[in-house]
Amino acid sequence: MIWQQLQSLAGSYPLALRGLGMTVMLSLISLVLGTALGFGLGILRTGGNRLISSVIGAWVDLIRGTPFLVQIFLIFFILPEFGIELGAFTAGIIALTNLAACFICEIVAAGIRSVPTGQVEAALASGLSRWQRMRQVVLPQAMRIVLPPLVGQYVLLIKDSSVVSAIGLTDLTRVGWLVVQRVPNGLLVFFLVGVGYFIVCYPLIMLARRLERRMGQAHGEVQL
Amino acid sequence: MSTPSQAKTGMIDFRGVNKWFGPLNVLKDITLSVEPREVVVVCGPSGSGKSTLIRCINGLETIKDGDLIVDGQRLGDPATNMTLLRTEIGFVFQSFNLYPHKTALENVTLAPIHVRKIPRAEAEQAGRDLLAKVGLADKVNAYPSQLSGGQQQRVAIARCLGMRPKIMLFDEPTSALDPEMISEVLDVMVAVAEEGMTMMVVTHEMGFARKVAQRVVFMDAGAIVESGTPEAFFSAPKTDRSRAFLSKILRH
Repeated sequence: MIWQQLQSLAGSYPLALRGLGMTVMLSLISLVLGTALGFGLGILRTGGNRLISSVIGAWVDLIRGTPFLVQIFLIFFILPEFGIELGAFTAGIIALTNLAACFICEIVAAGIRSVPTGQVEAALASGLSRWQRMRQVVLPQAMRIVLPPLVGQYVLLIKDSSVVSAIGLTDLTRVGWLVVQRVPNGLLVFFLVGVGYFIVCYPLIMLARRLERRMGQAHGEVQL
Repeated sequence: MSTPSQAKTGMIDFRGVNKWFGPLNVLKDITLSVEPREVVVVCGPSGSGKSTLIRCINGLETIKDGDLIVDGQRLGDPATNMTLLRTEIGFVFQSFNLYPHKTALENVTLAPIHVRKIPRAEAEQAGRDLLAKVGLADKVNAYPSQLSGGQQQRVAIARCLGMRPKIMLFDEPTSALDPEMISEVLDVMVAVAEEGMTMMVVTHEMGFARKVAQRVVFMDAGAIVESGTPEAFFSAPKTDRSRAFLSKILRH
């Protein structure tokens, strides 16, 4: 019975691979961009300029306080009203990158704040410039606090990428919707979709755990 | 560095300096001049403003009014490049503040390489020599967490010396140390003083003051109450407050 249904699903194999590819591609691009942007925002957030810091803070709160589905709809359906026409893929990347950047910004800012003032003062006293203090003294120590939740956040963001199916991108979740219309066994189909996500996420979960363990042993700096 | 018109100013020159933390007047009309090669010990009860005093010199604290001239440059003056001036001023912290993710040698060479732009090989050789000088030749590759407090503080002093500063400031350098480690740090400080470094040292180590200081400055409640040679200050303190303070710290 199950076997028969699995066989009937075998035909959907290429479609599933494409969906998995789309999920991985979306996640990868937006995580790389979101990490870069998130670190930049996190550094600015703690940079001492009140105005910049509170603008970033307000934006982060706004994004964290609204459902991702709503954000995607706003970008994909509302922006064209103002003359900004985006393809579904670009809209998905923008929405996911923004979401990633906001969460990562807060993780990075918390990491930077966790570095003792004395460290910054020592760097300041020896004449290191602002960027040198960040690069040589603050960030390496902040990474200790940042890395485990950062990798954990990646897992959450990969799962959040399933929401892009709502604007018609054929990612893993949407493949599930498409297939289930042909094969009337939703349980099995979405079980397999879940397995697909798990295969992508599990290595990251393992990595996060490993980093957390390593944190205690390192001399204030954790390396991948 | 100093121009002819400023030839008479000291290496560090406080002129009527005031500082407030909110309503609290933490530095009151400080006037104090430290000559090149002079060693000045600053003492006083906790909360008297002595740490704040030396933290102003390298701009870790800013002053409200009065003038503070360091190495011929007025602090707060737009023409004064604070980052550049800081490279001439070594600062030793009570809690060492070594970079925990860097080895002893990396702690010493970081600023010379990145700020002074000294080639790495040269900076590392100089760093090894300095660590040897403070008695830590065998700890070059140790991380701060692997060192004792006294060893960490000696690395911190070597880190300052690596920049070849004109001035060294010490903020209670031995207060966080176990008693048996105090002398190894003081010995290094004596050696630095004997090489002619301009130094301001916040400390209650009166043995150190007697040995190398030209002057002891006693502070209380943000003001300089008394200032004189170590002999004069220890044997014949002039004010009640300094007598009360000395009787407390010299009891043991």
